[in-house]
Amino acid sequence: MNKDFRDTIIFLSPLLLFVSLFMLFPVLGTFWLSLWRDVAFLPRKFVGLANYLRLFKDTQFWQSMIFTLIFSLISVAIEMVLGIIVALVINERFHLRGAIRGISLLPWAIPAIIGARIWQLIYRYDYGLANYLLGSVSGVSINWLGTSGGAMFSLILADVWRTTPFVAIIILAGLQSVPEELYKQARVDGANLFQRFVKVTLPSIKPVVIVALLFRTIDALRVFDIIYVITGGGPGGATTSLSLHSYKYFLLGDFGYGSTISFVLFIIAFALALLYIRLGRFREIAL
Amino acid sequence: MNEEQIKKLLLAVGIVFIVVFFLFPFGWMVIVSFSASPDFLIKGNLSFTLSNYKDILSIRSLHFLNYLKNSLIISGIAALSSALIGALAAYAISRFKFAGKMLIVLGVLALSMFPQISIVGYLYKFMTRLRLINTYSALIFPYIAYSLPLALWILLSYFSRIPLEIDRAAQVDGASRLQILRKVILPIALPGFVSAVLLLFMFSFNEFLFALMLTTDFRARTVPVGIALFQGLHGEIPWGYIMSASVVSTIPVILIALLAQRYIIQGLTGGAVKE
Repeated sequence: MNKDFRDTIIFLSPLLLFVSLFMLFPVLGTFWLSLWRDVAFLPRKFVGLANYLRLFKDTQFWQSMIFTLIFSLISVAIEMVLGIIVALVINERFHLRGAIRGISLLPWAIPAIIGARIWQLIYRYDYGLANYLLGSVSGVSINWLGTSGGAMFSLILADVWRTTPFVAIIILAGLQSVPEELYKQARVDGANLFQRFVKVTLPSIKPVVIVALLFRTIDALRVFDIIYVITGGGPGGATTSLSLHSYKYFLLGDFGYGSTISFVLFIIAFALALLYIRLGRFREIAL
Repeated sequence: MNEEQIKKLLLAVGIVFIVVFFLFPFGWMVIVSFSASPDFLIKGNLSFTLSNYKDILSIRSLHFLNYLKNSLIISGIAALSSALIGALAAYAISRFKFAGKMLIVLGVLALSMFPQISIVGYLYKFMTRLRLINTYSALIFPYIAYSLPLALWILLSYFSRIPLEIDRAAQVDGASRLQILRKVILPIALPGFVSAVLLLFMFSFNEFLFALMLTTDFRARTVPVGIALFQGLHGEIPWGYIMSASVVSTIPVILIALLAQRYIIQGLTGGAVKE
């Protein structure tokens, strides 16, 4: 028993060391930094909660907050619907299913930056594919990235493309755990294809859908990569997410205020993570 | 139309949607990478060329091969280390009884949802103090930590399905816990370990924000940062270079995704998707 105790400590300590040093400690450090005036070329000074008060006057912060929430809400909603559809397709038995499953992974498997670069080129006003296709049908050109609505739409589409695969895989696992008998019984009761989906499939995959929903929401709230490339936060700050807003202060050398913004984002994400853990079914696996 | 036919029709529509929507941007990437100028849609001057590929592979000031080498080394080391550290922890959690087990598992899980931006500011200061900015270590250590929750989650779901009797039998033969993990558990859970390493590799290979903040030039910069910051010699965005570099750097990930889709899907779902 004593030996087991010693082994427990030895086996767990590398993990605990790494996550403490490079995740837990930095988050606490971020909170600590947010209490300071820590700007390049100025002496450091402890300012308490002054940086948090500054948030109230920072109109870009509120614009970023609203953008981040709207972006997350719409893109996650679309991803859930498409993810369920894709999962239903790749759950069926058909020729070359393996290949289709592989294809369904691709947008998510490649670096987000590369996907973003491709979409950036597609959205280009002058020689982008989107306007070319639109122009040959209707003769209209849209300034995809030049207006705030267009930029929002463009970012959501790029995000939906990239993360629907992830949602689909998580929901596929849920679909496979639906007992075949439920479908048989529903057939006996005379339920048609659509009724079986609504009455059997949807209730059965609800827990998995909630897990995917929360996980994706937390992930969407920290969106950075695709915005950095596709719009750079523009036009005029309209698509500057909270992550990007914070990053811009780091870039200016203002670590105090940059940390303040990112700590607010952390609090939001952490609250959702607690909810996720409460709803998730991790207990069975862990014990 | 009867129900079977409707189902087949819907399935066909779904497959076409998946192929077209998911693949057409890749097709566009490939076409632009082989074309002499990216504005062929309006100028109609589409012509096939290999020069983009030749340039990114041979012009040293573009540093693409440096980025690729950095990415492969950093992600490779981070993925293997994280899988090994995760295996040790998953073994302890699935085998030993101790107080605070749930707290560790759930705590690590919560860590995986920390926004990178709320870590990277302090990490930048930390790495600066250690004089590690723009080195492989500046990325490898945070990548190991950031991917450990995923490693633990995957390996735990595999390990906890292996009966404890197997450990006891090996213990009777006088094996230490480390030997049991290495010679008994890991071989049994090999598919899980492979899934973990592949997913962890992709995870680090694709990461952007840490790499953007913690590196400054070609000596440690990774592919995503290189591609995001690619500047043409004359200021214009060099689409040909960007797309050919993208094609070259996505080949390893695409191969992994297509050849090992079964392992990746199993890993992501804790083995819930069987085939």
